[in-house]
Amino acid sequence: MSLLEIKNAHLKLDDKNILNGVSLSVNKGEVHAIMGPNGSGKSTLSYMLAGRDGYELEKGEILLDGISLSEMEADERARSGLFLAFQYPVELPGVGGMSFLREAVNSRRKFLGEEELDHLAFVKEARNEASKMYVKDEMLKRAVNVGFSGGEKKRFEILQMAMLKPTVSILDETDSGLDVDALKIVSDGVNAQRNSDNAIVVITHYQRLLDYIVPDFVHILSDGVIIKSGGPELALEVEKNGYSGLINAA
Amino acid sequence: MQHSIKDDYINSIKNYTNQFEDTNFRRIACNDFKNWPSPREETWRLSRLGSLSRKKIKPINPNLKKNNNNISNLIGSTIIQFIDGAYREDLSSKLPSGINLSVLSDSESLKYLQKIKKSNLSDHPSTNVSLSCTPSIIKLTVSKDIKVKNFLEIIYEGGEDSKSVHPVLYLELEENSSLYLIERFNHLTSLVMPLQLIELRNKASLNSIKIFNDNEKTYNLSANCVYLSKESYLNSFSLIKGGIFTRSETHAYLNGCNAKLNLNGVYISCNKQHHDLTTAIYHDVPDCTSKQIVRGVLGGKSTGVFQGKVRVAQDAQRTDGQQMSRAILLSDTASANAKPELEIYADDVICAHGATVGELDDDQLFYLNSRGVPMDKSREILIKAFLEDMINQSVDISLHDFVFKEAELALSSIITKEIL
Repeated sequence: MSLLEIKNAHLKLDDKNILNGVSLSVNKGEVHAIMGPNGSGKSTLSYMLAGRDGYELEKGEILLDGISLSEMEADERARSGLFLAFQYPVELPGVGGMSFLREAVNSRRKFLGEEELDHLAFVKEARNEASKMYVKDEMLKRAVNVGFSGGEKKRFEILQMAMLKPTVSILDETDSGLDVDALKIVSDGVNAQRNSDNAIVVITHYQRLLDYIVPDFVHILSDGVIIKSGGPELALEVEKNGYSGLINAA
Repeated sequence: MQHSIKDDYINSIKNYTNQFEDTNFRRIACNDFKNWPSPREETWRLSRLGSLSRKKIKPINPNLKKNNNNISNLIGSTIIQFIDGAYREDLSSKLPSGINLSVLSDSESLKYLQKIKKSNLSDHPSTNVSLSCTPSIIKLTVSKDIKVKNFLEIIYEGGEDSKSVHPVLYLELEENSSLYLIERFNHLTSLVMPLQLIELRNKASLNSIKIFNDNEKTYNLSANCVYLSKESYLNSFSLIKGGIFTRSETHAYLNGCNAKLNLNGVYISCNKQHHDLTTAIYHDVPDCTSKQIVRGVLGGKSTGVFQGKVRVAQDAQRTDGQQMSRAILLSDTASANAKPELEIYADDVICAHGATVGELDDDQLFYLNSRGVPMDKSREILIKAFLEDMINQSVDISLHDFVFKEAELALSSIITKEIL
C-alpha cells in the first residue's frame, strides 16, 4: 500500500479549474519531485494536500497510509503525519519559536499516544535538532519567522519537519529565496530525515534543488495534470529544454 | 420646564458648590458644567452617554472609614490608596524620600483648574464635575534628579451604586527625575470621573501603566492632561478591561524640543462593554516623537473605539508621529471603530497612521493548523500573541509579566465564551 495516494484529484478555485485529475502514488522510502511552470497548480496541490480551507477536492481522493484525508481538517492531517513546508513561511508576531514548536510536537505526540515531553526534555531535543539546522538558540526565543531572513525561515521549516517526524512531507518550493549555501544546509537537513518509513514530495520550479535532494521519481505538472513521469533524468531534460517542449509533446 | 435627571445631578453639584465663594475653583468648574456631552459633539459621537444621563446619580460623600479590598499589589511597590475618590493616608505606604504628597490649597487648586482649562479638556465632564466635587486635589511631586526605583502603585477603589466618584491627581516630575507609576481603577460605583494633570519637566521620565478594571456596571470617564517639556519622556500604557463603559481620554502637549511620547493601549471587551481610547497629541515644537499602538480584542456585543488625533503645528518641524490601531472581532455582534486623524501644518515631518478592524489572520491560523495545532488552540495562541506582542513592545520589560497576566485574566473569559 502506498503511503500517499492521490487519485484523480480535481479542484476549482473561484470557478476556475486548477487541478484536473492529478494521480500520484508515493511509497515508503521514496522521494518524488513535482515540477511545473508557473500556474500549473503546484502550490494549489500542496494546499489541497495540507487541507487549507477553500482547497477542498471537487472530485477524487487522497489517502494517507490508507486513510482518507477528505474529511480531515488541516490540523488533523498534520497530527496524522502530513507535513507541509511552506513556500512563504508565515510570521507569527508574539508567538515564541520554542513554545510554537512545543505546541506542535505535543499535539502530534498526543495523537500518536505518546506522552507529552516535559519542558526540559523538549528544550534539549529542540536545541539538538536546531543546531543541526544551524538554527541558533536566539532564533528560537524570537517570534516565529518574524524578522527571519529567507534562509532562516526555510531552516526553521525543516527544523519543524525534523521535530514532528512526519510520514509524508511536502516541500513547497523550499529552494525559493535561498542562496547556494543556504540551499545546501536545507537540503542536508531534508536528506538526514529520509528513511525507509517516510516519504517526501518536493515541489519545485527548478532542477537545482534536485541536485541536492535527489528524487527517485520526477513528475511534470501542467494545467493541473501530471503530463509526464520519469526518473531524475526528466528534471535534467526540463533544465535543458524548458517546460514548453514537454508540454507541447503531451 | 420639565425636571430631568440631568438637572438633578447638576443641582446636587450646585448645591454642594454654592457653599463656596464665587471665585472658588469648585464654583467656577461647576458653572462650566452645563450638560453631558451630546452625540453631536464629534469626539462623543462614537461613545454616547445617553444611558448615563438617564441614571439617577449623586456625587458620593466619601466614607473615610471604608476599608480597602487588599488587591494583590506588586512586590515591593509603594502604595497610594484612594477610596471614594479621597486619598487615604491610613491605607497608604510611607513614601520614599524624593516623592512628596500634598493636598492642594484653594489657591493652588484654582491654578490647577486654570492649567486644565488651557487644554482641550476644558469642557470634558470629568474636568468640571470632578473639580466641583473632588474631596481634594492630591499632588505628587518627584524631586529634581530623583530616580525612584520602586514602583509607585495608586489604587482607586470604592464608590456605591447611584454615586459618582471624583479622584483628582496632579503629578509633577521635576527636572531629570524618573518614576514608574501603576494605577489601578477598581471601583464599584455607577460613575467615576478621574481627572489628572501630569507635568514632566526637562529630562523627566515617566513610565505609566493604567489598568481600568472597574465593576461591570461602572462608567469610567477618565480625563488626562499631560505637558511634556524639553527632552522629557512619557511611556504610557493603558489596559481597559472593566466597567460597562470606560473611556480614557488623554491630551498630550509636546512643548519642549526632543520630548518623546509613547501613548499605547489595549482594550479587551466582552458582553455589552463599551471601551474607548481617545487621544490627542499636540506637537507644538520641533524634533519631538510620538508613537501610538492601540489594540483591541472584542467579543459578545461589545464595542471598541479608538480616536487618535495628532496635530503638528507649523513650527514643529522634524516631528515623527506614528499611530497604528488594530482590533480583532471574535463575534459577529462585536464592533470596533477607529478614527485616526492627522492635522499637519509643518512641512518637514514623518507622520503615519493606520487602522484595521478584522478577524484573526487566515494565513496565521492555517500555519498553526498545518503544524497539528487544533483550530481553537490556534485562535487562542494568536489572540494572546496579538496582545503579548504589543505589550512587549510598549511596556518596560520589568512589568511585562504583570501586565500580560492582567490582560490574560480578561482574555481567558472571552476565549472561553467565543472560542472554546
